[in-house]
Amino acid sequence: MSPRPDTNPKTDEHALDQLTRAVGRQMRLASILAVASSLIWPVQAAIVAMAISGLLGPAPGPGPVMTAAAFVGFGVARALMAYHAEALLFAAATKAVTAAREEIVRREMRATDSGGAGSIAALATEKLDAIIPYITRYAPARARVMTVPLVILALSFWFSWAVGLVLLVSGPLIPVFMALVGMAAKDASQRQMADIGSLNDLLIERLSALVDIRLLDAGPAVVSDFARGADQLRAKTMNVLSIAFLSSTVLELFAAIGVAMVAVYVGFALLGAIEFGGYAAALTPAAGIFLLLLAPDFYQPMRDLSAAWHDKAAALAVAGELAEWRKQSPAALLGQGGKTGKLPGSPEIGLRNVAVQMGDRLIRYPDISIRPGESVALMGPSGAGKTTLLRLLAGLVAPDEGRITVAGDALTADTADAWRARLGWMPQAPHFINASLADNISFGQPGDLDESLRAAAVGSVIEALPGGTEALLGETGGGLSGGEARRITLARAVFAQPDILLADEPTADLDAETAGLVMAGLQALAARGCSLIIATHDPALAARMDRTIQIGSCA
Amino acid sequence: MTPDGNNSGGRALWRIFRMILGDQKTALMRGAALSLAVLVAGITLLGLSGWFITAAAAAGLAGMGAVFDVFRPSAMVRFLALGRTAARYGERLLTHDATLRALTSIRVRLLAATISAPHDVLVRLRGPQALNRLMADVDALDGVPLRLILPIAAGLAAQLLTFAILWWLVELGVALWIASGFLVASAATLYLAARTAANASRNEEAGSQAFRSGFIDLIRARSDLAVYGQLVRHGETVLATDARRQADRGRLDRIERRAGFALSLTGTVVAAGALALGMTLAQAGTITPALAAIGFFASLALTETIGPLRRAMADLGRMAVAAQRVDSTLASDRIEHGGNLFGETADLLIEELSFRRANAARPVLDRVSFGLTAGESLAITGASGSGKSTLLLLAAGLLRPDSGRIVLGSVPLDRWDETKLRSTLTLVPQRSTLMAGTIREALQLAAPEAVDADLWRALDAVALAGVVRAKGGLEFRLGPMGSGLSGGEARRLVLARSILRGPRLLLLDEPTEGLDEATALAVLKGIRKYLPEASILTASHRPVETTWADRVVNLNQPFSATPELL
Repeated sequence: MSPRPDTNPKTDEHALDQLTRAVGRQMRLASILAVASSLIWPVQAAIVAMAISGLLGPAPGPGPVMTAAAFVGFGVARALMAYHAEALLFAAATKAVTAAREEIVRREMRATDSGGAGSIAALATEKLDAIIPYITRYAPARARVMTVPLVILALSFWFSWAVGLVLLVSGPLIPVFMALVGMAAKDASQRQMADIGSLNDLLIERLSALVDIRLLDAGPAVVSDFARGADQLRAKTMNVLSIAFLSSTVLELFAAIGVAMVAVYVGFALLGAIEFGGYAAALTPAAGIFLLLLAPDFYQPMRDLSAAWHDKAAALAVAGELAEWRKQSPAALLGQGGKTGKLPGSPEIGLRNVAVQMGDRLIRYPDISIRPGESVALMGPSGAGKTTLLRLLAGLVAPDEGRITVAGDALTADTADAWRARLGWMPQAPHFINASLADNISFGQPGDLDESLRAAAVGSVIEALPGGTEALLGETGGGLSGGEARRITLARAVFAQPDILLADEPTADLDAETAGLVMAGLQALAARGCSLIIATHDPALAARMDRTIQIGSCA
Repeated sequence: MTPDGNNSGGRALWRIFRMILGDQKTALMRGAALSLAVLVAGITLLGLSGWFITAAAAAGLAGMGAVFDVFRPSAMVRFLALGRTAARYGERLLTHDATLRALTSIRVRLLAATISAPHDVLVRLRGPQALNRLMADVDALDGVPLRLILPIAAGLAAQLLTFAILWWLVELGVALWIASGFLVASAATLYLAARTAANASRNEEAGSQAFRSGFIDLIRARSDLAVYGQLVRHGETVLATDARRQADRGRLDRIERRAGFALSLTGTVVAAGALALGMTLAQAGTITPALAAIGFFASLALTETIGPLRRAMADLGRMAVAAQRVDSTLASDRIEHGGNLFGETADLLIEELSFRRANAARPVLDRVSFGLTAGESLAITGASGSGKSTLLLLAAGLLRPDSGRIVLGSVPLDRWDETKLRSTLTLVPQRSTLMAGTIREALQLAAPEAVDADLWRALDAVALAGVVRAKGGLEFRLGPMGSGLSGGEARRLVLARSILRGPRLLLLDEPTEGLDEATALAVLKGIRKYLPEASILTASHRPVETTWADRVVNLNQPFSATPELL
């Protein structure tokens, strides 16, 4: 993802609301539990205050066993409520994040072209996960901040207006500081997120090109390049953290001063050194101890909220990025790419006035019709749009102008899946999935694996691999030569028993003998009645086709 | 790269911690001292406040308020409150900065180790998994000092210190109850949680990485999958991986929540017990009520020492798994740097060279011999699988022969200095990867010092200058994995990149694949003109390459019969 220099806080806020809307009820219920659990502490504090002041006489307080039992009893209730609030919030967070992740996966898998796989994967994994702490920590902290301090303030005023006043003055300063710090935190956090994305993109490419980097002896340069990027990321992360630390320090400072003032005031008042601050009667020891125990908890919710503040900043940044991702609408393949019955009808193909925008250039194709069982070579200079034509015919991209008909129907979202069920496909640069060779050929479908391997003349190649057909392949077929990887894609096409084969440079990277084997494999397919549409530079291959269509020469 | 039996999670964690400590010793030691100061100040503050108020109340009731020293305790309360805040800020900045710095240097070392892995490992490396190791794994390690070792060490020290002070100030029984209560309960919770969390953590971690690499796979292979009607199924598989991961995460969260519950109860029970013990002693007259209050207030403050354990427990499994992987990558094989010799010329002599893949029945190369002098070009031919590519890898020093000799510039290849060797020869494999970035960046990867004029000269040599000019020049930006160029254009860019290094020996594996006849010949001639002195060895099957070459060696023919052998 590109950095987001100008963002609109309102849109991000809105995006975050939208993300959590579905789990709003659970979040509210959990917040109520969290608040209730915090409000048990004043009760426990009262028990302790009465017990300690009872030791000082004259009126005896509750006994040691009674005190301990009551304190523990309320403590258990408090812990249980907190436990359930956390459970509810975790479930809510999982639900919200999983839904967003599913949306990303479902759209990206059908997109024809989009940003780097690395940064989209980063958005779907660690970035989306940044929403979780917002729900599990920030939301309950905010609920507590809006209630618990008010209750404690009221209790303090009840016993001593001076203590109440200390809290009242120091309390509201905190949100002001936090708002200031929070804005800075969000900016810093966005810059950090953008950095994670671009560092991921940089790395994933470098890591896929390690062999080349070694051969060019560019290792040290790449490492120092990465060291710079990683160090920048560290500096940005540290920026985010130091803002967060600063905000919590400011809070802690207010809390520390407030508590110290309460403690000192209560001490002086109990000694009788200070006369003001109370009401008609002097402050009792029990009330003094009670106030001291309550004071830290007046600030605690605000400290929790501040600790969770960068959770919100991070969540806002992610929600904004997600909203932006939603806004871009990349071209998607026609149909779903799922398995379905074959499109009926004789597999004719027709192109009428088809044109495709490629960057700033419009590629216009000649009108073409291909009869069932015909074999056609697409020839033309590099970059003329041969590969794009194959992708058009497979419904992987839609034309910007004109119309493609297949088996008598227009090639549309409704017919694309069924049309593709009749296709075989040999891409120029195969990408093998992280699975065994057998899975990469059959995709788990029933069929005759041995027969396809024979047809593609790869039997001997596979025998040399560790584990044979169970061998795991690298992503671009590492461990196989270019020609070998190419023949695996032929085996895959043969396995699918297609009616039409679309092949992109099937004999590139092959020596004459192997190219001959591949051509034989292709012709065996043709003999079974399969149409062949082959983009190639190879005149020998083109000569074996029924006819040749020139691409890029008609302007 | 699987961790062996000896490399247990605990040991790997400890080794990583030592690595981090070694990198940032001073900062981390200072940070540790500050975190102890924070804890001690907190405990003292609360204990002192409790004592101060109770003692003040007692004095007030006894009418002794005028002689009670209020100034020293109240000054101390203020000092502790402010000092603690400052220490906390310093500790956080110091430890986080030190940890992030140490992790950055681990990341860089990891990448360097990954790049210098042997060639056959590099070929099989999967980008997404390596990315996980560099980013997610290293990220997981920040908890090792920050959430595991520093808090436990500081917490333990604070507990022991408090024990001593409470024993001295209050009474042994109260001190023992508090220290043993906290230590036993938190140790038991930590042990139980860590034991169950490790497994769930490992699964969650594996699931998270599986989701990420599955998703990247899905994006990269989506065209192929779509044509074969497998896109929906693979998408569902990726989503199912995520669902399993969420279930594991739920299990982890439950463990963490239970640990949190146990730790919260520990604090409550210890504080209640301390209060009851203190009250009993005060009622018996052994200690004053003010001292009785200290035990209770100190145990309230001590809950701060066990709080961080909750996070540590939740992360422990994840950290251990990550530590094992990072540790084993850092310790894995590097390329052996041969010798420190180098030759003056790039005359290549290959004698009786044989090579057999591990566990293969038939050798790939069997007693191959030929020679190549500077300025000469030689094309190796032979059927697919006859070992052409292997021969180039052997000549580039990326594989070791089983027997026979490779001599470059009258120095045996295995005695060459690695850096000198790389600058003397350049290998262009069959498939090369281009990266996102400008044409200039792509070319400068090979020759960082080259100026634009050099770059254009190289582009011109491979008949690509016109194409690049039409696309907008050296600033033209390639997309991910070099998209934006056709196959033939990408091939020529890779060739331009290799000749820019000015090698004296150029090893080309099917250099003109994907180019039409006329362009192929223009490229070959351009390369020769660009590098008039270089020895050029190609693995070829196209007639255009074999007719262009000065000589041809066919690997399928018995070598004793080849006349040009030395």
